[in-house]
Parts: sequence; C-alpha cells; structure tokens
Amino acid sequence: MVRLCILSLASVFMLASTTQAETIDSVLSSENQSLGVAKASVGIVDDMAFIRRASVDLIGRIPTVEELKEYQNWPAQTRRDQLVDKLIEHPRFADRWTVFFADLLRLRSNVTGGSALIAHVHRNIRDDVPYNEFAATLISTNGKAGRSPEVGFILGDNADPLAMASVTSQVFMGVRIGCAQCHDHPFDVWTRKDFYSVAAYFGKTRRYESNFTRVVYTSEGEQTTVLWPPEDEAEESERKAMVPSFPFELIGAKEQPEFIARYEALLQKKADALAAKDNSPSLDDLFAEADGKVEAATGNGISVAVAEAREEINKIDVKASLYKRSEYREQLAQQITSPRNRLFAESFVNRIWHDLVGRGFVEPVDDFREDNPPSHPQTLSYIADEFVANGYSFKQLVKSIVQSDVYQQKQVPLGSNELVQEELEAAFLATPMRRMLSESLYDSIVTAGHLFDLKYRQGENERIIEQEVRVLLAADGEPQDLASADVQDLAGNPQQMTNQGMAMENGGGAGYTLEDAIELDFDALLKDEDEVELDVMVAKSQEELEAERMQMENQRRPRVGMKYETKIVQRTVDDNPRFSSALRMATPAPVGHFVRVFGQTSRNDLGEARDDNPSMRQSLMMLNGRLTHEASRVGTLEPVSKYLIGGKPQIEKAIELAYHEILTRNPTAEELAWAKEMIQEAKTPSDGMADLRWVMLNSNEFRFLP
Amino acid sequence: MACNDYKLSRRAMMGATSASILGFSIRDLLAYSGKDHEAKAEHVILFWNGGGMSHIDTWDPKPGRPTQGEFSPINTSAPGVQISEIFPKLSKQMHNAALIRSIAGTQGAHGRASYNLQTSYLPGPNLRHPGVGSVVVHELDNNSDLPPYITISGQAPRASYLGQKCEAYYVAAPGEKDPYLAFPSGISQVRGDRRLEQLAKFNQRFLDKKNDTRLTSTQTSIEDAVRLMRSPALEAFELDKVDSTTLERYGDTNFGRGALMAKRLVEKGVRFVQVNRGGFDTHSNNFPAMSNHGEVMDPALASLVEDLSESGMLEKTMVIMLSEFGRTPRINDNAGRDHWASVFSCFMAGGGIKGGQVIGSSDEDGAMPKDRPVEVADIHATMCHAMGIDHEKEVMTPLLRPMKLVDNGSPVMELFS
Repeated sequence: MVRLCILSLASVFMLASTTQAETIDSVLSSENQSLGVAKASVGIVDDMAFIRRASVDLIGRIPTVEELKEYQNWPAQTRRDQLVDKLIEHPRFADRWTVFFADLLRLRSNVTGGSALIAHVHRNIRDDVPYNEFAATLISTNGKAGRSPEVGFILGDNADPLAMASVTSQVFMGVRIGCAQCHDHPFDVWTRKDFYSVAAYFGKTRRYESNFTRVVYTSEGEQTTVLWPPEDEAEESERKAMVPSFPFELIGAKEQPEFIARYEALLQKKADALAAKDNSPSLDDLFAEADGKVEAATGNGISVAVAEAREEINKIDVKASLYKRSEYREQLAQQITSPRNRLFAESFVNRIWHDLVGRGFVEPVDDFREDNPPSHPQTLSYIADEFVANGYSFKQLVKSIVQSDVYQQKQVPLGSNELVQEELEAAFLATPMRRMLSESLYDSIVTAGHLFDLKYRQGENERIIEQEVRVLLAADGEPQDLASADVQDLAGNPQQMTNQGMAMENGGGAGYTLEDAIELDFDALLKDEDEVELDVMVAKSQEELEAERMQMENQRRPRVGMKYETKIVQRTVDDNPRFSSALRMATPAPVGHFVRVFGQTSRNDLGEARDDNPSMRQSLMMLNGRLTHEASRVGTLEPVSKYLIGGKPQIEKAIELAYHEILTRNPTAEELAWAKEMIQEAKTPSDGMADLRWVMLNSNEFRFLP
Repeated sequence: MACNDYKLSRRAMMGATSASILGFSIRDLLAYSGKDHEAKAEHVILFWNGGGMSHIDTWDPKPGRPTQGEFSPINTSAPGVQISEIFPKLSKQMHNAALIRSIAGTQGAHGRASYNLQTSYLPGPNLRHPGVGSVVVHELDNNSDLPPYITISGQAPRASYLGQKCEAYYVAAPGEKDPYLAFPSGISQVRGDRRLEQLAKFNQRFLDKKNDTRLTSTQTSIEDAVRLMRSPALEAFELDKVDSTTLERYGDTNFGRGALMAKRLVEKGVRFVQVNRGGFDTHSNNFPAMSNHGEVMDPALASLVEDLSESGMLEKTMVIMLSEFGRTPRINDNAGRDHWASVFSCFMAGGGIKGGQVIGSSDEDGAMPKDRPVEVADIHATMCHAMGIDHEKEVMTPLLRPMKLVDNGSPVMELFS
C-alpha cells in the first residue's frame, strides 16, 4: 500500500516535469519562429545514444552493459523518462555535479577549508538543497574553516572584499563587475563606485588565524576596510568608509509576477508541512524536562549536574559569538538570491543549459550585459521562472532540460557546411559535438575496462619488475644485506625492501602517478571534528615543496663518509590494477595529471573555462598511458573472457559485447568483419580483443558524446 | 600561433586573433621591416632557483665587509670581475657571461616573488599571468619534433591565457624514462604500430559519418604524438647514452643531468628549457648550504657554457639563472640570511649577450642598488628583445582584457654589443 503511494506520487512528479520539458520545446520553437529561423530540428537521437549521452552527462560515465539491458527492457514509451529518474537519484549524480560546482566556485582542496567545502557541496547536491539557500549560506556565513564548511568559499579568496565583490557578482549573477575594480567598465554600465559598493558588503569581514592552534575562521570587525575614493584617486585622509549598496536591478516590490507568487506559495506549503510535522522539543522544553527528571530523582531543586549542563550550553553560546554574523553579507545574500533578482536564476540556468546542451543562451556564460543579450530571451526566462517557482530545485532543473527534445537532438547531418552547422546549433536545432568532461572521460575508460573492480584472480597476473635503487655500502665498502641496508630509490626516497607485492595503487613508482585518482572521503570530511585533515594528495604549499626539494637534494648527495652504489633489484608485483573515480579526487589535480591535460582548470582564476581543445599531451597519455592499456587488456573475471578463453572462441559475440561495453551500440556488418580480421591477426584472441578495445578507447567516437 | 592545424574553441579563438595581424605574427612583420636584426637568440635555458638565492655569496661578493661571511671572492676569466669562491670552474667561463648586480626587486615573500620573477607581473585577484617560457613559445614557431617548451625537475608556471599549446612539457627527473613517450610495456613496436594503423581507420570511418573539424584536430594531435614518439630527437632525453666523462663533468646530480639535458634539447631545436632547483631558502646555516650548492651548480653551469661556446650554440642560446630574491646582508643568529628583495643579481650568457661584463652595482654591503637599477620586468623584456619578440605586444585574455606580453620594462641594451 505504502509502496503504491510512493509510486503514484513519483509519477505525478514525472508528469509535472515532462510537461515542463515539453513547454521548453514549444517556447523555444515559437521563439525560433519569431526570430525568423527557417530550418527545422535535425531530429532526436536513438535510445542507445540517449542512454550514453544522459549517463555521461548526469553520472559522469558511460552506461554498463547491465544498465543498458535494464533500460532496453523498459517499455519504449517511458524508457527515457525512467532512465532520467534513475540517473538523477544515482549516487554518482552528486559526484558528477560536484565537478560542475567545483569549477563554478573554484573549489580547491589545498586552500583553507577547501576540502570540507567540496564535501558540503556534494551533500547539498545529493539532498537537492534549494540553490538559493545554498548560495546564500556561501555568501553570508562566518565561522571556522572545516566546521562551517560554507566559509571555505570566502576563505578561498582570503576574505578579500575586492576579490569577493568580483567573485560573487560573476559566479552568482554572471556579471563581470570585476573589470570596474580598476576603471569604469569599458563595455558596460558599471562604475568603479558600483564595484566598491558591492565590495563594501565584505568590508567588515576578516580572516582570523589563531597563533596558537593555527585554526582559521572568519568573523566581523568593527570597521570596514573598503574606503572611497580608491587609493589611487584620493589622499588617505579624504577616503571615507564605503556604504554597501546593491547596484543590480531587482523586480520592483509592487510587481508580483506569477512565478514569484507560485514560489511564495511553495514556501508557505513547505513551512506548513514543517510546522505540522515539527513536534521536536525546544531548548527550553529540554531544560524543563531535564530539571523535572533530576528533581524527580533527587527530590531537590536544580542539581549540580544541571547547572553544569547549563554552563556547557552557555559556553557554546560564547564560542558562537566568536564568529559574529555578518549583517552586511546577509543583506547581500538576500538581495542576490531574491526571486526578484532575474540575474541570479537566469545566469545559473544558462550555465546548466550550456553544460547540457553545449551552448549557452548567453555566451560566455559569465558575461551578462546589455550589449550581450541572450539568443533566446523568452526561453531562458521561461526556464528561469520555472526554476524559481519549483523552489530552486537543481534536480528538477536538470531533469526538465534532459527530458526536452532540445537536449536529445542529433548532431548536424553529414555534408552540412560550417555556416549551416552554426545556424542549426545557434538555434538549438542540432547538438554541437561535445567532448566528455575530463573526469567523465577518465571514469568512462575505467568503466569500459572493468577497472573499478579487480579483473584478475589473485596471483594470476604476477609480474617481476626491475627497479634501480641506491644502496648504502658498509664502512668497508662491501654491499650490505638488502633487507637491512639503507636503500633509496633514485629520487632519494627511502624504500622498504620486501619480496611481497608492494602495496601500491596502479603500479605507483612506475612513473604513472599522473593517472592516479585517489578519492576524497566526503563523509569523513564533514564529520563534526575540529580539524579536517587529508592524508593523501594534500596539495602542498610553496614552502613545503621548497623544504621537500631541499631534503631531497640533501639525501641525493652522498653523505660524508658514506658510499652508495646503484643496483638493480627485482620485485614481484601482483599486477591487478584498480582505479578510483576521478569525480571524487582532491582538486585541482596536479599539473600534468590526466584530468588536467583534458581540461580541468587550476580553479585559481575567476572565469577560467575548461579548454576542450585537443593536444599532443592528451594523445600521448591516451596512446601510451597505463589507464587505456589496463582497460584494454582482457581480465579473466570479465564477462568477455568466456568468449575468448578456453573452449571454442566465439569471436562475434565477443566483438558485439565490446561494442556494447565501450561504445554503447551494435557494430555494423562492416565493423564486425573488420574487428574479426583484427582479432584473427593477433597472437591470441585475448590479445586481439585488447587491440580492438585499445582502438575503441582511443577513438574520437569514444570521447565525443553521441 | 605555432599550431594552425588545431581548431580552437571560440574562447581561445578570440584570444588568438589579436595575436597576429592579417596572419603575420609581429615577429614576421618586424623581420620584414628589418627591425629585428639584433635578435640572435633562438633558445633559452632558464635555471630557476627556488627559495631565493644569496646574491652576496654568489655573484656579488663584498670583500672586507662584515656581510661577506665565510666565502672569499675569486678572480675570473673576465678582467676585473670577481665572483664567489664556490664557483671555481665557472670563474674560467666568465668571459662568456654577464652579471646584473642591481636588480631592484619589490617582493619579499616566496609566492609573490616567484610569480613576479617568472612572469614579470605581480599576482592579481582575477587573473594568472603566463610564465616567460610560455610567452616565448607563443611568439616563436616550433622548429623541432620535440615540444617547444620543456621544464625539468619541477613545474614551470602555467601558460594561462596563452593556451594549452604554450604549457611546458614536464620531465620529472632528467635521465629517468618518460613512460608516455613509448608504447606501454608488453606492446611490441609491430603491435603498437598496427594499433595506430587501425585507430586511424576507425577514426576515419567516424569522420565519414560526422564531419566536424574538431575530429580532424584530434587526429592531428595523434599524429603529433606519434611523430614525437618516433622522432630521433627523442634521444636528447636519453642520458644513458652519454659517455660517463661528460656526465661527470656536469656532475652526477639532478642539476647536472638537468643542465646536460637542457643542452641536448636546445641542440634539437627546443625553444625554451627551464631547469628547476630548490633549497636556497637559507634562513639558517647559510654557508654550508651555499657551499653545497656551489659543488652542484659549478661543474654543471661551467660545462654547459663551455660546451655551448665551443659548439657555437652559445651565440643563439641565452642561458640565464634567476631566483626569487636575494638574501640579507646581515647574517642572522642562526648563521643564516633572510629574504632580501631590494637588490640582487642574476647570471646571463649567450644569445647575443656580450660576455665579461657586469651591469650595475649594489652598495658596499649589497643592500641597495648603487647604480643602473634594473627592474624585474626589464629582465623579461631583455629576454624577449634577444629573441626578437616585441615585449610590449598585447594579447587578449578570455575576458577580452588586453595584456602585454611583459609587464612594461625595457631591455637592458648594454648587455648586447
């Protein structure tokens, strides 16, 4: 009975969102008509292409064969909607979109409070916390790094008011007011004074660092640090405290557009539901109850224990006042995230649209201004209105876009010249060729190659590797026993010499660390502990690196009176590689890492876009890297091995499976013949299959979305 | 732009268009107008010393002053020029090299100073500036199979708005095998080549179904990669083929191998090589540390300058050693020296620089510039000048903000005879 209820509720929601997707299509098509676009849509992709596109976009990897089968067994009518519902609630959905927010908010594990903020963002996506609430806390929270994860946002720019003025405007409203920091905006209405008036909201906020505990937190000071006129325009004595004010246009209080009415009704409904459900006792109730219990037990008045408990609670309050609330920033957050601020909803919708459809209504996505108007203002405004009316639900927004025909369109047909292509793509009648995000590309290779799990039986794949090490000679110049000698690798790092397999991820030490993905534990990062620490992949400060370099150099230089010799040693390694998800990696990845080479930014500069151009470095990494190599090799625990190893090989079945696993489609007859020939030419069927898979993983078809 | 075969994204395109006029780079135009006749340098080897190297204990000794510390100055092959005794071999090459002793820095913190010295700019809130190596390869064509910009034993600054093509190719430890330059172990040459052949077929079939220029540019990047993998020039990376006498002359250290590899790389046409080294932040025990640094740097630098000079490569290769700042004239209680940006020195040779000279000087204690103060950006302007690059040229950032290649500054013309 209960189950039925949930099901019917779900279908009501599904219906609601399907309708929204359909309306997006109809608003867009009538807008195209009024813009005089004569061409029609190129049509939507088939089911196989849809599951591939949607899986990569929503959960950051290609679908598995099991997922593909399940999907194909669903009724054709509801298949795509069912898939979208499933993907949006998939645990990887939050992983995938954390990457989006990490780009947007420039999340970095190596800044104070950075890792906790990443985990916080992840949890907010998972729980579909309304985007306006999420943004408001980032803008306004004061507190301690790590414990109040939101504060990582302002600490990312060291709570510098001028930087924060640029960041908040550009990130949350798509407005580049930062240009007005040094001069009145060249192409826009913003003046230096506007810029300083936004910065003034951050003027009293300070970054504090305890000399004792090195704990970092933010709080409010008494005086503002933002003065007007700017330093270069006036003498110090003439500069006065700048009063914060909000230069961006809001919908007037007298107007009550329908979507705001709907939003407010939704809020009311939520509040009512909460009030009806909320039977939880207040703090006073708890005191009364505790007092009562103690009284009952002791027969006396308030006991020592209760007095102590009260004192404890008071202490907490005292502690809380250390992190003073920022009234200014709360005002700013309220203005920015107000439903009356069109820029807030529109700039966010535009970013999501850009990510999913391949092109924004406004391009670049962070440059909303009068002389750079949206290509389809009505469509943008419709989606933004619905976003607000739906209570800023991120999942709902993504769902409505992915269910629309616009998202599901094919690419331009063969033979279209560049002009036609541009015309079709600009009118959203065809999908631009999109390369997977670097993290999704990485995870898709791991998925296709069955590398999230072990694919060989233990000991099946033992391999002897040779390594050059430096061994300390004993005082008499004789080599010592390797097990007890001071042994370093060539970089001067001490080595443990044992004959057991080395505990290492991905054959570490073989020079492939640029392909490792060591995951962050998001849950641990949000534990209510005082210090949040990262054991692995801690990005290092300049000084630490310097110290390390120094140490390394010292180790490398022969110590006085000690002699080393270089030896080649052999180790046995159980080479059964496993890879983790790049979506959950500490960010940004080191320079030169796979995900950096394929476009992840340094997350350092505001408005830095992912570079999706090909490069030689990318090709070297794909052609010769360990990830593609290991993904290509056929593991005995993989489904395909039963067609290849032992008994009579069933090559056609194996090829078909490889196409499903890697490219999410059936091979054509021509391809089947080509692949068969390739496998037959190889030494063994498994080798041939590895060659075929290597080719497919390296292909354009693999990395570009269908 | 160095690689016209790559189709750029719209954003990158906007940045690129302003970088040339009607398809001619500024360098070409200058060449046609005959203005770059002074440009002799085609390559740069930049030694980057992280941490802030003491100027007094290296290039600018102050004999007889309390600041001098434990080292004595020694005479060099350049008449009248003395350097620290920690460079006995290099002292015999100083007729090939020049020193600037009057760099007036402004940044005394590691992060800001290394940013300043490597980019010519000061760090700002919204934008990261590219390193000078990226600037050079952005402006000059790549004449080699090898990547035009290579950094050894450490990271180079990012290319930022100059784009992925201008990022440095990273070599972690000179002499160690780079796994990405050959097929993975277990894949024979024959099998690897066959895979590449089949990949080209597969990609072509896809291209026949979807015509999109982005697909052809991926193919270009594969061809570039394969050309590199097959290039005989790759041997420049392989130090195991170098005879042991040469290795020993440069010193069997990371730094020595780095210098040797840098020489081999520029000989193969690489434009810009950066060799990184740290350990100069000598707040305590400055003198033993600097003595060790001397042992490592002296044979490498001396052999490099000597070899380049003998082969004639020095004429077109600028060798330059930079650090974040100098160190205090005062020797502190831990026998160390602290950060000092007000004046410091740098070592330069080749690429049209007249050897045996010293530009500017510091005061008697090495505390302030005495004459001919040189600004940090002047160094980058000088490097550009030597290579025929207009350092004042503007490029567009992705936010369409015009940025000069170098943050103003003017070339130190006295260096060039």
